[in-house]
Amino acid sequence: MATPSASARLPNIDAQREQVLAHPLARGIDSADIVEFLAQLPRGRFPSAAYAERARVPLIQPRGGVPLFEEQLALTRALSEAGADFIPLTIDSCTRHNEYDTAAQLLKRSEEEGKSYLNGYPLVCHGHELTRELYVGLDKPVSLRHGTPDARLLAEVAIASGIVEIEGGGLCYCLPYSEGFPVDRCLLYWQYVDRVCALYSTPGRPVHRESFGPLSATLVPPAIVVAIEIIEALLAAEQGVLSFAVSFGQTGSLIQDVATARVLRRLAREYLDAYGFADVELHMGYHQWMGQFPMQRDRAAALIAGSALLAGMVGADKIIVKTVDEALGVPRREVNCEAVDMVRYVLQTFGTPESVDSRAIALEASLIESETRSIMQAVFALSGDMFWESVHRAFQLGYIDVPFSPHADNANKLTSMRDANRSIRIAEAGHVPISPDDASTERALLQSRPDRLEKTYRRMLSDIALMA
Amino acid sequence: MPQARTRKPRVVIGVIGDDIHVVGNRIMQLALEESGCAVFNLRTRNRPDHFCQAALEVNADAIFVSSLNGEGEYWCADFRDRLHAMELGHVLLYAGGNLVVGDRPEAEVVKQFKSFGFDRVYHRRPDIGAAIADLFEDLAHGDAQRQRQVA
Repeated sequence: MATPSASARLPNIDAQREQVLAHPLARGIDSADIVEFLAQLPRGRFPSAAYAERARVPLIQPRGGVPLFEEQLALTRALSEAGADFIPLTIDSCTRHNEYDTAAQLLKRSEEEGKSYLNGYPLVCHGHELTRELYVGLDKPVSLRHGTPDARLLAEVAIASGIVEIEGGGLCYCLPYSEGFPVDRCLLYWQYVDRVCALYSTPGRPVHRESFGPLSATLVPPAIVVAIEIIEALLAAEQGVLSFAVSFGQTGSLIQDVATARVLRRLAREYLDAYGFADVELHMGYHQWMGQFPMQRDRAAALIAGSALLAGMVGADKIIVKTVDEALGVPRREVNCEAVDMVRYVLQTFGTPESVDSRAIALEASLIESETRSIMQAVFALSGDMFWESVHRAFQLGYIDVPFSPHADNANKLTSMRDANRSIRIAEAGHVPISPDDASTERALLQSRPDRLEKTYRRMLSDIALMA
Repeated sequence: MPQARTRKPRVVIGVIGDDIHVVGNRIMQLALEESGCAVFNLRTRNRPDHFCQAALEVNADAIFVSSLNGEGEYWCADFRDRLHAMELGHVLLYAGGNLVVGDRPEAEVVKQFKSFGFDRVYHRRPDIGAAIADLFEDLAHGDAQRQRQVA
């Protein structure tokens, strides 16, 4: 049995870092220089400062990454001027898979032909010295958005570039993004990233970590999301991370969004405190609808505006924004800026309530909470010398089962569907250790669905295309 | 030669190219199984060879190739030739999803894939029920149906 502990720091971190930083593309990164560089950055570049200063409405973060430096610079400036509170740096798929040679070739072709052959910014190829130039004079945090199972070198280069919000985690950047990357390795590599973030953190200037709660963004029951978010917060805290954000994706049900936010925030805090991590600053991000988007731009705009309102209702600290181009491909710069402006307009116009409640929300929240506690208890009870080993075991046993994960080792025994209120229900729990009472509550709620005699695949298709 | 069908239709399915979009693939497996097929799912990131080899090994009646990011066009051009080379010319070959990069008329995409030797092509169709109904119809007509469409 392994519970999280502050004494579970990754051993041999110096030797491991030496190996990672020996890569030619690390371009001789020297930690002492980076410490000095981070100390002279404006404090506004650190997420904890941005969160401390936020008004009642959530902070706004778009997504964005293009291969060419000049284009990325233009995008960075445009998004900042449009009112983004966090500036994104989205990384291309080759870099995400550690294929730096391919990324370099495609970057060269993009430069020669003035056309994008990469779906993001190849940070490792560009290197930290050039990338720092993107953010000269910027007083807002920059967020690394990727989907990389082995992000050790990428995170080192990011921090050296002055990017001190690192998204990801051993489960959330493996199960939705990889078919075959070994999950135990991924957990360990993210322990490395967490440890490096902690090593570069100083009082008032913590390097911030964020988990990616939407996962496969397809019918993931909230309890699975909340459990994974708590696990990743605990894993980061073990390595000494002092500033962390949990997150989740819009579920498609207003009731379930409010309930999920409430349980996620409360339980993440409770578990951190219980294992000796009361000093970890905790925030919560809300991702606008991550599923299939409408092709029609006016409907996409309505969805973006509606979910901006929801971000305020659920009390999110940050909203991660989509664009009206979502169904069609990588968004154009103007469209990305328009989305930031639209979300800002909605948030400012409608404000945020102190809290939202109803009997249905309270019932939903107590069900999510009970299920999450059951999962966490079962994970803690598994064998292992370190917490990450118990987490790996939980994945192998199907306690952690993410619907529609492309990963070959995902159990795929849990099936989920929407009920009459559009809330995501667990139809079959598989090996996920929720109590028999909770399982029967889930099934009873699913019975409210009018089309339950139809074929399963037809119901799933309509559930997935909910917003499209 | 018409055959009485005494076993479940055997279908190899998978996503082609370096595409990792898996949602449609999972739904397709469920839909085919619910409709009474035996499904051999290669999941994501496949080359034509993977489909052909699997078809040989499991004695498939049909191959369903899917693509969401549009890589399908690049990979599928010699699909039917590969099947012939392995003496699997009788295997039904279907393609579906978002088969090409960019926005092109459906009729053009269908024509293109038919020229690659595909029997049925579904480009940006929201419902997968039609493909399953077509499969049972094509299987009922035996090889003749496939030969006629390819010719």
